[in-house]
Amino acid sequence: VHFLFSFRAMASLSEEVLLVVKKVRQRKQDGTLYLMAERIAWGPEGKDRFTVSHLYADIRCQKISPDGKAKVQLQLVLHSGESTTFHFANESTALKDREAAKELLQQLLPKFKKKANKELEEKNRMLQEDPVLFQLYKDLVVSQVISAEEFWANRLGGVTNTDPAQYKYKQEVGISGAFLADIRPQTDGCNGLRYNLTADIIESIFRTYPAVKQKYNENVPHNLTEKEFWTRFFQSHYFHRDRINTGTQDIFSECAKQDEKGLKSMVVQGVKNPLVDLLSLEDKTLDEGYGVCGAQPSTSNSNRTVKESSNYAIIKRFNHHSAMVLAAGSRKGETSSTDGNSRDSDFFQPPVKKVKLQEEYEDLQQENRPKTVPLNLKKSDRYAHGPVPLQSQQYTTSQDIINSVNYIQHEMANYKPNLTQVLSSTVATSAISALSPGGVLMQAGAQQAINQMVPSEVQGELKHLYVAAGELLRHFWSCFPVNTPFLEEKVIKMKSNLERFQLTKLRPFQEKIQRQYLSTNLTGHLEEMLQTAYNKFHIWQTRRMMRKT
Amino acid sequence: MKLNIEGLLVYFPYDYIYPEQYSYMLELKRTLDAKGHGVLEMPSGTGKTISLLSLIVAYQRAFPLEVTKLIYCSRTVPEIEKVVEELRKLMEFYSKQTRESNNFLALALSSRRNLCIHPEVSSLRFGKEVDGKCHSLTASYIRAQHHSNPSFPVCQFYEEFDAVGRQVPLPAGIYNLDDLKDFGRRKGWCPYYLARYSILHANIVVYSYHYLLDPKIADLVSKELAKKSVVVFDEAHNIDNVCIDSMSVNITRRTLDHCQNNVDTLHNTIHKIKETDAAKLKEEYRRLVEGLKEANVARETDVYLSNPVLPDEILQEAVPGTIRTAEHFVGFLRRFLEYLKSRLRVQHVIQESAPQFLKDIYDKVCIDRKPLRFCAERLQSLLRTLEITDIADFSAATLISNFATLVSTYSQGFTIIIEPFEDRTPTIANPVLHFSCMDPSIAIKPVFQRFQSVIITSGTLSPLDIYPRILDFHPVTMASFTMTLARTCLCPLIVGRGNDQVALSSKFETREDFAVIRNYGNLLMEMSAIVPDGIVAFFTSYVYMENIVASWYEQGILENIQRNKLIFIETQDAAETSMALEKYQEACENGRGAILLSVARGKVSEGIDFVHHFGRAVIMFGVPYVYTQSRILKARLEYLRDQFQIRENDFLTFDAMRHAAQCVGRAIRGKTDYGLMIFADKRYARADKRGKLPRWIQEHITDGSLNLTVDEAVQLSKHFLRQMAQPFRQEDQLGLSLLTLEQLESEEMLQKIAQVAHQT
Repeated sequence: VHFLFSFRAMASLSEEVLLVVKKVRQRKQDGTLYLMAERIAWGPEGKDRFTVSHLYADIRCQKISPDGKAKVQLQLVLHSGESTTFHFANESTALKDREAAKELLQQLLPKFKKKANKELEEKNRMLQEDPVLFQLYKDLVVSQVISAEEFWANRLGGVTNTDPAQYKYKQEVGISGAFLADIRPQTDGCNGLRYNLTADIIESIFRTYPAVKQKYNENVPHNLTEKEFWTRFFQSHYFHRDRINTGTQDIFSECAKQDEKGLKSMVVQGVKNPLVDLLSLEDKTLDEGYGVCGAQPSTSNSNRTVKESSNYAIIKRFNHHSAMVLAAGSRKGETSSTDGNSRDSDFFQPPVKKVKLQEEYEDLQQENRPKTVPLNLKKSDRYAHGPVPLQSQQYTTSQDIINSVNYIQHEMANYKPNLTQVLSSTVATSAISALSPGGVLMQAGAQQAINQMVPSEVQGELKHLYVAAGELLRHFWSCFPVNTPFLEEKVIKMKSNLERFQLTKLRPFQEKIQRQYLSTNLTGHLEEMLQTAYNKFHIWQTRRMMRKT
Repeated sequence: MKLNIEGLLVYFPYDYIYPEQYSYMLELKRTLDAKGHGVLEMPSGTGKTISLLSLIVAYQRAFPLEVTKLIYCSRTVPEIEKVVEELRKLMEFYSKQTRESNNFLALALSSRRNLCIHPEVSSLRFGKEVDGKCHSLTASYIRAQHHSNPSFPVCQFYEEFDAVGRQVPLPAGIYNLDDLKDFGRRKGWCPYYLARYSILHANIVVYSYHYLLDPKIADLVSKELAKKSVVVFDEAHNIDNVCIDSMSVNITRRTLDHCQNNVDTLHNTIHKIKETDAAKLKEEYRRLVEGLKEANVARETDVYLSNPVLPDEILQEAVPGTIRTAEHFVGFLRRFLEYLKSRLRVQHVIQESAPQFLKDIYDKVCIDRKPLRFCAERLQSLLRTLEITDIADFSAATLISNFATLVSTYSQGFTIIIEPFEDRTPTIANPVLHFSCMDPSIAIKPVFQRFQSVIITSGTLSPLDIYPRILDFHPVTMASFTMTLARTCLCPLIVGRGNDQVALSSKFETREDFAVIRNYGNLLMEMSAIVPDGIVAFFTSYVYMENIVASWYEQGILENIQRNKLIFIETQDAAETSMALEKYQEACENGRGAILLSVARGKVSEGIDFVHHFGRAVIMFGVPYVYTQSRILKARLEYLRDQFQIRENDFLTFDAMRHAAQCVGRAIRGKTDYGLMIFADKRYARADKRGKLPRWIQEHITDGSLNLTVDEAVQLSKHFLRQMAQPFRQEDQLGLSLLTLEQLESEEMLQKIAQVAHQT
């Protein structure tokens, strides 16, 4: 149902409309869904405007309602976390409509996903993760005090400089070992099985079994629909590991073979750690035929029963599965973490083996490592069992309370002041007066009451101003010492930024608090900071002029 | 620190010492003083090796004429290398303390596969190939041919060694396998032959059991070692099986077919040589007539398996006339082969003794006992005369002739069992002739007789008195040492019931019982949720494990376990298992955690340690009894009963418990380590089973943990693990399980230590 025509209603800019689906409900309102070249839009019936419009680049993913549900729906999840649900209400063709929309979106979304710049995502993520940064961004960039580039140049650079590992290689999320267990089929009551597949599980399957991914890429959507593909996957003996491969018509039989090959090559490669290499563990000098059980029974595959070989297949598959999950978890390129002991070249004996051989009894030797503070547990039982709800016996009994009151009374009765050590009465009086409200030492007390004097909304604003000013000043001060032309340029720009900030942000704020008859003293410190910066700038500028002349 | 062990100054290369190490050395010294043999059990991870080395080296220095050499036998290559590294540490300590370089020579010896530096030969992967290839480059006639025709390939490393390597002894020092290779490369000498030559004058030799216990190899390698040596068998809990293995032979139809080919090749080669170089055969014949024991002057490189029988059983006579000429001998071999073939065409199981077999062979094909006894030797001579390069190809013929020699030499302690098919597959004909040794004392006897002190030691030798009985020797000391602990770092639990009160057991009747299998799965699942990092689970056999894994899979238990940890499973393929093992360690290392399903008596249970986080819990599913239906085992049990008065059940239980102890002991490798030991079978609670566990495990089994349900075990484990996770520092141990020199010398402590050794 692919239409290709121009939509006149969108008068201002004519866009190419790829698909129009009528009778689509959104928020219980009937309307029409339009899929255009760059966005998806929905307009209520009889109106000439769109009430819903999303750029494809904003859409993170689409979800569809399971087959068999009464309502045929399609949900769009945006990067911002919001979602929009469309209900296909045309009774006769609802499913077909939905499929058409889904298929088209499926083709369109990846294109736009690639467009969405990686860096942008990163910035977006940072803003989302850090509310303070987000506010700052709003204050400085949105209000055009500084440009976005300036904002990020410093930010991204600073972050990567301080802790490059954390951001450059963000730890990849591994795969659950039991992801196949999570799709345990549920019977739907009428002799069918239902598998719940989520994007995460599909991703896990692809990462663990690259062969399946390859099959998917080869077959979907040219030969099979996605649904057919997964249905076949679950039916294949590939998925059911205990079944021995017999048929060849199955598209997954090749996968099994590839896995087999992969497993074999892993085995042939051998292990890097000589201490776990069972092949070279023994100084084997018994030849074949010697020894009590020289002729090992049942090792040869020929005389295994069907059940035995199916059991063996399960075991092999489990080893393979675990190895693949493990490999998918560790980053690509970085092979097994333990060591790099290559077995074929014995010219190169890495120290790892030596170290492993020299493993000693560390407790027999003097400790050299820095002393750590041990956890001092008064009640190790409580630690071991975790927090336990307070129990009645842990309350002090009334007798205890009476006893302690008596004890304190007794203490007080016998209290004898040590009078030789106290201050003279005059000194004491002055100390008390100094510490009383209004006293010398309590001057700061008046200002501390700001949270009572100023409405919280002004306080919040002030806080934002401080953060923004701090950020700008940080930029400014980081230019000193100014020793490159780039920094020169920057410092001048920063100064003008500061001035702009003062003009567009600080002044209005000051005026506002004046209107509210609040003490203008509130912004005094901010002004002071700015003034210091200006002074510094002037000193620098005059010096520069002098040097030039 | 420097210790005073009953008047002997012992240098101990650490600042602290465990109390049990002190008493171990004490006991060891008494054994050496008495010039007798000893059986010493001390838990793994308490520094057994360094105690042994420190004391014996000190003894050697103090009484250089009494003890000239230490022969240290261990089981696996990594263990051998570890011993040498400990020794290196000790020697460094010596030279630091005495400020003089000592002239101690210590070295490890291993097979060619681990020592060869020839670029082509060492690239081969299997030991047999390496041996064969080495032989084809170094045999004396090859070298003679090279002499006349220099384009003939030889091994330049061996040539170099042969030319100059023997003139100057290996400089004093500690040589591990890699050090030997380095040295060999520097000098251009063959490290293998250098090592074999150097063990004669080395102060300490570290090698594998086989070099002493297998007569085929011992005769070549260890023949000339001094009698005043101390021999140590470390990890000796399985020594009886090593002895038996070295004397047993199995013959299948395939062996016979191979042998047939070998005999044909021999026949053809003889013909060829007769036409070209008849003198050679005549010369051999002349030598055999003269009764020279070896028809050619056998060079060290010519044979790689010597006579399979023990030295004092080898006849010092001339080879009998019937097999002296090459053709006659080949004819003789043919006849013998045909006879064996006819014996393998049986429909039912036959068991007979060696004399019965000899009588039968005499009746049927008129083969006498005497020529049979010379069979192995005669074949060696012939192979040398014929200048057969690829000896590895002749392994089948060698096997048959070794069998001939063995069966005609020993009338006692061996049995012959011919089985037409495997028990589990009665329809598939696969006849096997087992010639199996039932008496481990036969192989080890010469060792006890020859060397003045033999120390048998391991972490698990309980019950101690059974080893002297089955190995037939009289120790002067027998002692079991426990592990002094500042905190109870091992937690043995016996889980006898499931949560539904079903009795858990791997015994034959309940083997297929779903309730038991499900409860076992439940146990593993619960444990996987609470134990950090690695869990190792052992099953009683491969078949049992495969069945359980399959039904766990069907019931979805494995999938639930996978939510907590990755699962790796041992298979019968060693390479595959190695990979699984490495991945398992990787998963433990990166924090994901993993479970290794393994088999008692398998390779993993014997040779791999699971230190620290590699094994926080070991679960033993069932009691690992040996497969009792095996006829070989039945014959052995009968023999043990008749000869040594050991009851069948006692031996079976002993054998099962030593393997169980080995399995669970894999997880505790020191006092700073900790781990759960879960015995999942109600039979472990019985006194006869429990009593056969090593003392250091036994004493931590409380009466309350004898018959736990899965839930109770989980509760106890949680508590244990949380406590163990607390930091454990040296100060916590000091004075209790770790001593400074001053503490050791205090009167009070010495008394305490005296109680540690458990005399039996």
